[in-house]
Amino acid sequence: MSEQEKSSHPKEDKVSRRDFLKMTGALAGAAALTQIASLGIKNVQAGHGEGGEHRWGMVIDINLCIGCNYCTYSCQAVNNLSDDMRYNVVTTETLENGDEYFLSRPCMHCDDAPCVHVCPVNATYVRDDGIVTMNYDLCIGCRYCEVACPYDVRVFNWYEHTDTSPRVPSFGTPEVPPRPRGVMEKCTFCQHRIDVGLERGMVPGVDDAATPACVVACPTGARIFGDLNDPESAVSMALEACKTPIRLREELSTSPKVYYLPPKTAASTEGG
Amino acid sequence: MQTIIQPLTMRLGKREVDIFPFWLAILGVGILFGLVGAYQVFAYGLQVTGLTNQVPWGLWITIDLSAIALGGSAFTFGVIVYLLRIKRMEIIGKLSVLLGFLGYSAAGMILLFDLGQPLRFWHPVVFWQPHSLLWEITMCVVLYLTVLMAELLPIVLEHPAFTSHPWLTRFPILRKASNGLNWLARRLHSFAPALAVIGLTLSLLHQASLGATYSVLSGRGLWFNQSAPVQFVLSAMGGGTALLFFLSVVVFRIMRPGQVKDEVLYDVARIAGGIILLCIYIRVWDWAVTNYYSFDTEVALQTEMLNSITPYSTSFWVGQVLFALIPGMILLAAKRIRNFRILMAAAILPIICTVLVRWNYNFSGLIAWITYDPFTPTVVLNSYSPTWQEWAVASLVISYWLLGFSLAARYLPFSGSKHTHE
Repeated sequence: MSEQEKSSHPKEDKVSRRDFLKMTGALAGAAALTQIASLGIKNVQAGHGEGGEHRWGMVIDINLCIGCNYCTYSCQAVNNLSDDMRYNVVTTETLENGDEYFLSRPCMHCDDAPCVHVCPVNATYVRDDGIVTMNYDLCIGCRYCEVACPYDVRVFNWYEHTDTSPRVPSFGTPEVPPRPRGVMEKCTFCQHRIDVGLERGMVPGVDDAATPACVVACPTGARIFGDLNDPESAVSMALEACKTPIRLREELSTSPKVYYLPPKTAASTEGG
Repeated sequence: MQTIIQPLTMRLGKREVDIFPFWLAILGVGILFGLVGAYQVFAYGLQVTGLTNQVPWGLWITIDLSAIALGGSAFTFGVIVYLLRIKRMEIIGKLSVLLGFLGYSAAGMILLFDLGQPLRFWHPVVFWQPHSLLWEITMCVVLYLTVLMAELLPIVLEHPAFTSHPWLTRFPILRKASNGLNWLARRLHSFAPALAVIGLTLSLLHQASLGATYSVLSGRGLWFNQSAPVQFVLSAMGGGTALLFFLSVVVFRIMRPGQVKDEVLYDVARIAGGIILLCIYIRVWDWAVTNYYSFDTEVALQTEMLNSITPYSTSFWVGQVLFALIPGMILLAAKRIRNFRILMAAAILPIICTVLVRWNYNFSGLIAWITYDPFTPTVVLNSYSPTWQEWAVASLVISYWLLGFSLAARYLPFSGSKHTHE
């Protein structure tokens, strides 16, 4: 190393410190810019869905469910799902006394949704009306939400779907465009019906065209949908009438907006 | 000073044969096999994997976590060399930068395959969601990879090709490019302590967050573990340093005899041993606490069911406790043992342990899954086995790692003579 190079060091140090500050400033500026840019993206809102005018919820009466799977099939038809993808699942479970019953499970639309907390790109978010939904254009397909969901609700597009559901047209016709390969999707409480319905002055939960397909399709009326903010809605009344509505995995504090009316034989105790 | 690099040889009959071309051929096969799998994954999507909606993270995530963990020596030695200013470790520190860069770039590569939408890999950088651990990890890894590149450039430029290749005089433009790069390298090197601090911060953040990635998943029982972040940091430092020690012996003691004193290598082994023992101390406390709370029937049932189909408890006691405790003690006593064969053999075990910790973390909660039945919650077992395409991509990324390391070990001087100012 030459003498000249050595002697130039103190000066170079000063310059580099200034450069360092400059770099830090530039980085901070860039960070701020990207943040502002991301705020401008439509539909990006991470929140807990509180404070909106409506707060959509569902009540499922386990006593009335006969396990016919019509909810699942109509959901597949309306949401343009292929046969192996199900937003809604009906399973046979057992009570503590050994009796079997049908557990029909859509997305819980948690107020404090684990999937929303973990999504790295804000692709899944809680709307102001409490619906947990997806922005398919942002989703990178990392599947962290699928790992985080305690209810096994989320479904991934493992391949490009070209076929229509075999449930079309007997259970309905597709109302939303198909999603690309490699993104996550989930039950949206048929938000497209709710949004359009409200614009046309309909009441979701009352008018079929503005109500989730699974609720409309249920032959026994086991599913009730409506606004939890409205004390006069069918959902609120059903919850009021039932002393002990239950929510799945309540211990995780996810605050689901899907309530179950427990089987009468279960002696209205929650197990777990 | 020109470093003399001795190639690794093997006795074949009476001749000493340089194994490098054969090694490259093996890696070439690994990469070609990998490219076939990689094409299938990109062309047909993740349906070619064994992943399902119930087990959405598999072999690739484990490799991703392990590659990041085994690059953990880079920030550890960044601090040792540039902040604690332990000069005798400087050359070892250069190797750690290389291992860090290879680990993180390998992790980035395999993550690209794991994304359903690989072309949207940049989304976390633009569409911020600061609540997400995965967002924080992505940002840290992107920034840290940049830091590692800045730290690696001066080390790569030590190669004589950048200063004395005959083409540099024949083509003046190459000389200019080389001078420019060297100027950049000198500037970057003068930032070394700052880079070490940034590297430390970013590393501690994301290594801990990788543990927290799992520990926030309260719905998964077995993953809900408060000490996971600390364990991930310590096991990355321990396992990474064990790997660094193993490869330092190969690179410096076998291939560049005399460049690093044996005493310094012993010190590296002792650092690894110390961190490994600290990690296992916390791990065993964590086990005790978890057992204390094992009245949680679901967690107990999860463990029981995992044990029925996998060597889950065995892998903990043998793979995570024994494989850390015994080598930890051996490495800590490096100066008494003074036998590189024993020390190298001991250093392999904590590396396996580091990978195993991540494997178990990833799969335990996915395979044994707690149902949401409100009345009689139970645990169901899911299954997962990687397809050949997954193994192929794994082979591609591991071959890349080995190729990068092999080329550096073979050609880079790691002399430390060029950019040191003092």
